[in-house]
Formats: sequence, C-alpha cells, structure tokens
Amino acid sequence: TPRLATPSIPSRTLPARQPTNVLEEARTRLHVSSVPESLPCREQEFQDIYSFVESKIIDGTGGCMYISGVPGTGKTATVHEVMRCLERATDMDEIPPFRFIEINGMKMTDPHQSYVQILQKLTGQKATADHAAALLEKRFSNPAPRKETTVLLVDELDLLWTRKQNVMYNLFDWPTRRHARLVVLTIANTMDLPERIMINRVASRLGLTRMSFQPYSFKQLQQIIMSRLNKVKAFEEDALQLVSRKVAALSGDARRCLDICRRATEICEHSAADPSAKGLVGMSHVMEALNEMFSSAYITAIKCASVQEQLFLRALIAEFRRLGLEEATFQQVFVQHQALCRVEGLQPVSVSESLAVCQRLGACRLLLLEPSRLGVLQRVRLNISQDDVLFALKAD
Amino acid sequence: MLAEKSKPQPITADDGVNAGSRHPRLSLVPAKLESRQWAHHGFPQVQKVLRERFCHQQLPEEPEGVEAQHKHLLELLKRTAIHGESNSLLIVGPRGAGKTMLLKCVLRDLLQDKEVQKNLLQVHLNGLLQTDDRIALKEITRQLHLENAVGDKVFGSFAENLAFLLEALKKGDRSSSRPVLFVLDEFDLFAHHKNQTLLYNLFDVSQSAQTPIAVVGVTCRLDVLELLEKRVKSRFSHRQIHLLSSLTVTQYLRLVGTQLSLPDEFPDAKFAQEWNSSIETLCADKSVEEVLQRHFNASKDFRSMHMLLMLCLSRVSVAKPVIQPADLQEASRLCLADAKANMLHGLSILELCLIIAMKHLNDVYEGEPFNLQMVHNEFKKFLQRKSNSMYNFNQPVVRKAFEHLQQLELIRPVEGSSAKTQSEYQLMRLMLDHSQIMEALQKYPQCPTDVKQWAMSAFG
Repeated sequence: TPRLATPSIPSRTLPARQPTNVLEEARTRLHVSSVPESLPCREQEFQDIYSFVESKIIDGTGGCMYISGVPGTGKTATVHEVMRCLERATDMDEIPPFRFIEINGMKMTDPHQSYVQILQKLTGQKATADHAAALLEKRFSNPAPRKETTVLLVDELDLLWTRKQNVMYNLFDWPTRRHARLVVLTIANTMDLPERIMINRVASRLGLTRMSFQPYSFKQLQQIIMSRLNKVKAFEEDALQLVSRKVAALSGDARRCLDICRRATEICEHSAADPSAKGLVGMSHVMEALNEMFSSAYITAIKCASVQEQLFLRALIAEFRRLGLEEATFQQVFVQHQALCRVEGLQPVSVSESLAVCQRLGACRLLLLEPSRLGVLQRVRLNISQDDVLFALKAD
Repeated sequence: MLAEKSKPQPITADDGVNAGSRHPRLSLVPAKLESRQWAHHGFPQVQKVLRERFCHQQLPEEPEGVEAQHKHLLELLKRTAIHGESNSLLIVGPRGAGKTMLLKCVLRDLLQDKEVQKNLLQVHLNGLLQTDDRIALKEITRQLHLENAVGDKVFGSFAENLAFLLEALKKGDRSSSRPVLFVLDEFDLFAHHKNQTLLYNLFDVSQSAQTPIAVVGVTCRLDVLELLEKRVKSRFSHRQIHLLSSLTVTQYLRLVGTQLSLPDEFPDAKFAQEWNSSIETLCADKSVEEVLQRHFNASKDFRSMHMLLMLCLSRVSVAKPVIQPADLQEASRLCLADAKANMLHGLSILELCLIIAMKHLNDVYEGEPFNLQMVHNEFKKFLQRKSNSMYNFNQPVVRKAFEHLQQLELIRPVEGSSAKTQSEYQLMRLMLDHSQIMEALQKYPQCPTDVKQWAMSAFG
C-alpha cells in the first residue's frame, strides 16, 4: 500500500434522497444498520458488562470476559453501547480515561494479523506480525508512567485459533501482567468454546467471567421492532406479533426479524393500488414475506421441472423402493426411466439424454451425484426427502 | 447492404456470416436475371441477426415471464442507488433459466436513470475467475479504483488489501458516498473460500451503517443457503429470487416462433415478411411440433433451445433460404444422438466381441467386475462352438483390444484396485448399458451374423 493512500469511496454528486412516506420512513428505521440509541431487552447484560469494565478501569487492573450467543442476539451491539456510555462517563470525569480498540477475527486474513491490527490501532505503527507481537509484549509487560487502561474487544474469537494457540494465549496472558492494564472482551457463538478448542493454560487464563446471550423471545422481538419504529405507524399490531412469534420459534435472530419486516413494507407498497394512499402493513403482507424467506424452493423446483426430469425422479423413487436403499447407480435408474417412458407413451430416451437430465437435477442439487466421469456407474442419491418429491409430483 | 456492412460488426460475424455476404456479391453480377430472387439481399442479414440472438445471448427488449422478479430486483437496486439503502439478494435458478439475462436487463433499465448512472459504482466478480479471496480482493480494489490501485496493478499484501478496503467502506456513509453494487456470479463457489471471509465482510457492510452496498449473488444451487456459515447466514437478508420456468408446451412453441422470426426494424422489410411467414408455416407443421415437444419434455431451458435452432439455422443457405421441417428434424437428431453408440460404431469386430463377452459376464454374474482373463475365456467359449474360427486371435492382440477399450473409457478399473496388480488381472467394469450395446449392434456396418446371434443369445 502506498504510504499516504487514504482509503475512501468517492462521494456522490447528489445527496441520497430522504424517505418521503410512512412506509419508506419505517423501512429506513427498520434497517439493521440503524442501531438505536439504547438497546431494548438487553438491560441486564448491559449492566453486567458495564460494571465489569467500569470496575477494571477504576481499579486500574486487567481482566478477561467471554461473551457467547447465537448470531443476531445483540452481542456486539451491546458491547458497543457499553463503550459509548463509558466514553460519555469519561467525558464527565466520572471515571479515568481509557482506550477502546476492537478487532474481528473474520476481518483478518490470518490469526497473526491481530497483532498487527492491535499495534496499529494503539500506536499507529505498521509492523510485521512477529515484530508487532514483540512490541506489544514489551508494551504490556513494562511499567510506564501515566498509562491508561486499554479495552480490547475481540469479535469472532474462534477464528483466532491456531494449532499452537499462541495468539489466544497472548491475548489472555497480557491482562494478567501487573502493568498491562488491559481489559479483553471476547465474543464468539458457542458457549463451550473455551472447553472445546482451548488448551488448559489458555482456558485457565480466560477465567470464569462468562456471559451468554439467550435468543430473543417473541415479546422481546416485538419490543425491539416497536422501539425501532418509534411511533411511526406502519404496521398492524397483529402483523408484528406474527413476525416475532415466527422468528422466535425458529432462531430468535433479530436481524431476520428486521429483514422480514422490511420486506413486508415492500410487499405492502407494491400491492397498494394507489401509492400515495396510506396503507398499513397487514397480516397478508407479512405472511407473504415470511413465506418468501422461510420456504424452500425444492418443491416448486420439482413442479417446474421438465417432463423427463420429473420422470427421472419417479424412476429414482421406484428404484429406491425396489432396492430398499437410499442410493442407486444411474444404470439401475435408467432401466426404470425407460420403462416409465414406455408407460407414459413417450419416445424412449437414450442414455445420453437421461444422463443429461440427471446432471441437470444434480446441478441444482435436487440430486447428489458422484463425479460425472463415472458415466452410467455413478451413484445417485436424493438431496431431499422422498415424501417431498412425491408430494411435489402428485400435487399437479 | 454495403451500407449495412460498414456498421461496426461485433465479433459475432464469424466465417459463416462473412462467407454468406461474400457469396451473393460474386453471384449477383453475372446473373442479373436472378437478382429478383429476394434471398440474395436479406440472407446474410438473417444469419447475422439470428446468430447474435442464439450465440451471444442478446438481451431481449422485455424479459418474458419474469415481470414480478424484474420489478422486485429493479426496485431494490434503485433504492440502493437513490436512497443509499444497503441490501443483499440471491438469484437462484437452474442453469439456462435466464438469471444473468434478468440481472442484465435490470441493470440496463436501471442505468437509464441519469441520477443512478452518475452515482452507482459496479463491481462484477465471478466465482470461476476469482478462485480465492486474495484474487477477489485485488479485483474489487481494481474495479473500484481505490487509491492503492495504480493503473491496473494493486499493491500491498492480502491482509493490507482487506484492511484498506474495509477501512474505505467504513469511512463512507449512507447519504454522502456513492453506492456500490457487487455482483457475485457463481455465488456458491465463493462459499467455498476459506472462512468465507469475503462474504462475511460484504454482508457485514451491507448490515451496518457504512458505505451503502448491494450484494447480488447468482447461483444455480437450490441449497446455497446451507453452504453459508451461521454468522454469514445471519448477516444475509434471506431475500431470494427464484427463477423457475413454468412454461407450457404452447408457450414454448410460440417462443420458438418468436425466437426465429425477424424483428420489425429489419432493413429489408419484404424479405422479413416472407421469412416470418415461412417460420409461421414451419411452426404449424405437425412433425415440427412433435420434435419441439420432445425437446420441451427433455428440458425447458433456453440454452438447449438456442442450440437446436442454431443447428437448424446453419443448414440454411442462399440456395435454400427457408427452414424446412426436415432441417429441424436433422438438428434434433444431432442433439439427441447417443454419444456412446457412435463410439461403438467405430470399434473393430474383435473389440465388439469383447464387449459382448463382457455383457454376458455381466448377465451371468450380475454386475460383478471382471478382468481380461475372464473376458478372453468367455470369448474363447464362443469360438469353440464355431467350426470355422476366423477370429482366433492371439492373447497379445486381445489384450491390445482390451486396452483400447479402456482408453476409450468404455470400461474402467474398479476403484481401489491399485496399479500394482498386473493389467490382465485388474478388475474392470463395463460403462455401457445393455440397450446401448444391442442398439449399436443393429446399426453396426456389416456385422457378422454369428456375432449378432451370440449377442442375442441369453447365455454365452
């Protein structure tokens, strides 16, 4: 990279248009990127993290914390909010000043790059990974006058795993040094990560300060949407409840919930005969959005398949029944396929044709196939259940 | 026509077109009395127009049958371009269903808006070209003309490139920076990259308050979402556009008609009219309908239809300037021919005999693998039953024939049988279906009767 290059995306000629009607307003508010001022339903977790970090800053000591939870439960957002609040407190001189830096395992090409990024965020220096590790080691183990506490957020911790685990070891070892004054907050998805992948000396340094974020319940999801909408009246009460119940039952992922609501506003906008008319997003719109996002396309794909493709699937199931297995070679299926063609009164297919049909079904993953160079000897399996196939074939 | 020629011709104008356009000029001058024959004027143009349509996937004026999807995608990209809203979306459909066509049509319509044209940045990536994240990142940097790209060369290591790109995207915000459209062709291949770093980062940007971006993935795999990691999947907005064609036979027939007919703006209007009416009579023909029905049964995709029509069109010449039903039948025969059967026709009698012996072995031992010795033995049994044995070949000759069959991949060694075993004892499997062998025997030129009978007999 040239030394003075400043990363930037060119700016636009006209500023982006602002939302003009209720639905557009709602859509902007519901976008995942517009993180609200305060996060609803995470007060307890917020309080725990806040007091943990605050006490470490005031005492001038260091420590580690491990935060886990499935994606979309507000882990990173909560930590960011804690940091915002602590920074506000620093401005009011309630607590001593501190530095906040964050790294993300997914935004690095290699676990050792974390040294480089930490060093660059701390001092602005650029160094190779080995050199950066040495510099950081020196910085955290030697006493320095007027040293302020550093809060380090490590997102996607599981990506920092290496065979010797020295990156993780260092991250958890630095806070234990007497002069380090380092607070490390780590975030990952699985609750048992320390037990599963860390060797003992790493897990023991991570300590037992753990916190897990539970998936959102439907009430919480509803509250989240309500607080985002913030008095913009765009949704019917029941529609919101349906979305949150459905998402809570499946994953409890807030991102999914917001995306579905956003899609529902679009559907509402399209279905309205008069675009200027003020329409609320109703049950039907939400239902459509839910179907669009949760339903799998396999059954429609089979229904839309060509005649020979459907015949091939039927031949496959017939062969499975005959064999009593869930796998057959193409040759076996081909015999059934030809028989079915005769029954249906179609011209018999040649092997090449049937093989082409089979490959097409394999390309869109209705079937699982062995490499095609095996020709008629390749084994064929279904990627979906037989019942689904039968349902799709019968429905028309 | 000469004026037409001076127009910049795309690379499409291959030898077929040039040969066609040269020919009439030569023949026009001496045979003035033939000049009334309309074919000479319009003919090269027909080739050009139709070839462009079939081989170069020329965009249609209006995508047919996908109006709802077109509208959805257009609205979405428009909102990204004008309102700065970040989005992600997948277009899923079987091969040849018109996914890229839809996307290109949408982009063409989108860029007609002046405001969009000035603002939108585009980055096109293909999973077949950008085989890992390192190459993909360089390509993104190059297409965005970021500052660490000088000319077409991108400086810095992989890690630096990623950090630079993320920093650049982070600096932007919704209302002031230019929105970026990322098109990821063969999206499923990107999901096989290490850690799915690129996808995570793109989706993460689209879900956070940074530069507005739209990520559009194009793939033919229906199970593409199962390929994504949990955290990547959570960041994807789960919008999918499924392109599944619900064509019926009548629509398909009509579509073939429209694909073959000439547009209204064709320079020689009289010729176009005659051509179109000839196409109409062609499509009304019963035998043509039968052929097309068969193709429709096999697959509904556009590409195989174009293939068929292209083969038809290539049989049209100045001497015979209309497509006749026979042309279509011939083209269909070419399309549907069995590849292995053609190979069998080219074998020698000995090789054919070996294949028949293998077929008998398969019948008797129910698909168990065989080796050269077993095949030769079976062949010898056949020879013994005959008085005048003109096929009494030596072992080396038989082995040579066997090896030739292996080279043609008509037989292949059983997996797991290592190269350590001698070639005579290596276990093999026959890669042909019995129906193929029998069919090939019927058509084999001058097949000896006794060989034929041996093949027909139930047991060797």
